[in-house]
Amino acid sequence: MTSLKTALAFTGLILAAPAAFAAEDCGSVTIAEMNWASAGLAAWVDKVILEEGYGCDVALVTGDTVPTFTSMNEKGEPDVAPELWVNAVKVPLEAAQNEGRIVIASEILSDGGVEGFWIPTKLAEENNITTIQEALEHPDLFPGAEDSSKGAFFNCPSGWACQIITANQFRALGAEEKGFELVDSGSAAGLDGSIAKAFNQDEGWLGYYWAPTAILGKYDMTKLDLGTGHDEEEWNKCTVVQDCPEPKLNDWTRAAVFTAVTKEFSEENAVTMDYLGKRAWTNDTVNKLLAWMGDNQATNEDGAYYFLENYPEVWAEWVPEDVAEKVKDSL
Amino acid sequence: MDFVDFPSMSRGQLRDMRIAIDGAFRDFTRAYGDTLESLFHPIQVLLVFIENLLIDSPWILVLAALAGLVWSLSRSWKIVAGTVIALMLIGYFGMWEDTMRTIAMVAVCTLIAVVIGIPMGILMARSDRANAGVTPILDMMQTMPSFVYLIPVVMIFGLGKVPGVIAVVIYAVPPIIRLTNLGIRQVPADVLEAAEAFGSNGRQKLRDVQLPLALPTIMAGVNQTIMMSLAMVVVASMIGVRGLGQPVLQAINNQYFTLGVMNGLAIVAIAIIFDRATQAYGKRLQKHLEAQHG
Repeated sequence: MTSLKTALAFTGLILAAPAAFAAEDCGSVTIAEMNWASAGLAAWVDKVILEEGYGCDVALVTGDTVPTFTSMNEKGEPDVAPELWVNAVKVPLEAAQNEGRIVIASEILSDGGVEGFWIPTKLAEENNITTIQEALEHPDLFPGAEDSSKGAFFNCPSGWACQIITANQFRALGAEEKGFELVDSGSAAGLDGSIAKAFNQDEGWLGYYWAPTAILGKYDMTKLDLGTGHDEEEWNKCTVVQDCPEPKLNDWTRAAVFTAVTKEFSEENAVTMDYLGKRAWTNDTVNKLLAWMGDNQATNEDGAYYFLENYPEVWAEWVPEDVAEKVKDSL
Repeated sequence: MDFVDFPSMSRGQLRDMRIAIDGAFRDFTRAYGDTLESLFHPIQVLLVFIENLLIDSPWILVLAALAGLVWSLSRSWKIVAGTVIALMLIGYFGMWEDTMRTIAMVAVCTLIAVVIGIPMGILMARSDRANAGVTPILDMMQTMPSFVYLIPVVMIFGLGKVPGVIAVVIYAVPPIIRLTNLGIRQVPADVLEAAEAFGSNGRQKLRDVQLPLALPTIMAGVNQTIMMSLAMVVVASMIGVRGLGQPVLQAINNQYFTLGVMNGLAIVAIAIIFDRATQAYGKRLQKHLEAQHG
């Protein structure tokens, strides 16, 4: 019996040994795999590069903006959030940075996230619509409201910061007087479903959306011009405040999308921090990847390998040559 | 032969299969989406009507009507008093409108579930073949994760009330079907024989013997259906159904603890009101019947 136990323990040791060696230069890393497409893809790209290139032992943890951020802030877990949309956690993130709990490694989307009101490109061209004001002239083009005599203006999912912002913009535009109804979408899946329905049935669609996303990669949509700039002071004072008394139309600024890591991780993993600091891609690249994933029903893992195989010029800049070789060999 | 990895379709084949099925579904929504939408439009009209009636009427009338309804079902002052207090607290904490929307939704869903469920239950009780065929479908309806059918429904009907009603009814209709079936099957054989001896035909047996005797069980089914539709309120809010589910969803996403608990408790309060009222009604029926047959 004892000999069997020893044998088992020994086998265990042998099996664990390679991991232990790898641990010397990198160790185990937990990465948040957020539940939307672009962030999931980024998490998998990081996983593959860190595992194959740096010999890390990477575990992915499912997450969402607020829960993941809270957990990183309070518990120091997971180590890395590859794609954190800062707008959603602006104030607590600043506090966490000042108190030295969370460090921003890089801006993953080099041209930032884009938010706004979108309509199908085909519809925009047929009716010559380029601004939101022009779109609001045609409530009949946008079905889907409960009251079928009205046009539907699809709001952002419940509980997201953009829900309050869109509601204020809706009032600032006087859209209700122009015959529109603000339709609650409930969840991101619900919002996506409404867009898919509009394209499948060749109907109009008007509402809030953001890039980079699989939907915008898959369906050809045009972002409407609000005809105004971004007023930071007004934005903080009113646009983001629920039921702000007199909202003014205020264009979104480029949304900063960062890779955030816990302080502890940033201090202990200088090697990987070097990689995370350089890792950045553009909306265009991500939209294309997500569209490919949508067309092929690919998982985040498939998407990551597709990216590594087909966009070497993008990711080769993120890592030293020897690491790039190792990753290439593993593909 | 590889005994470690299960022999599966290749990734490519699986992908092609999924793409083909998704494509077929997309073609289906393109071809029949409009037709289905207009077919289900009356549900939306009914729901909007009840909702507006509850919201636009003076609150005191609505409160009185609900209390009256609870009284007529339960005949218990305690339950009526509890209902009035709970609804007043809900109103005081600013959840009146959302609560009315939820009540309208649950009422319509229950109505549809009863209209579909009771005939279905009767059919299953009368035919063993129907019973064997429908039972697995009921199992599927109760266990399939709702998001699996929620999004396809949205792709056909768009966001809002109709897909919400469909999702809730799918989830809430099985108990009433099952319990109607059970209630009728539990009617003792000697009672049926007696009815036959008096020369009742099938229709008379059903209407005058089986259904009255099964009524308490059927009421338990209605009660379960109401409870399950309330449980689906939050899920339905994920496809844009307004009501108490939405603030709950908002609270979850923003970690507003109090908001979540308050709206959650409002759902619980409605559930208890419905539950006590329908259960008391079921018990009254039973007593009434026992007195008659005892």
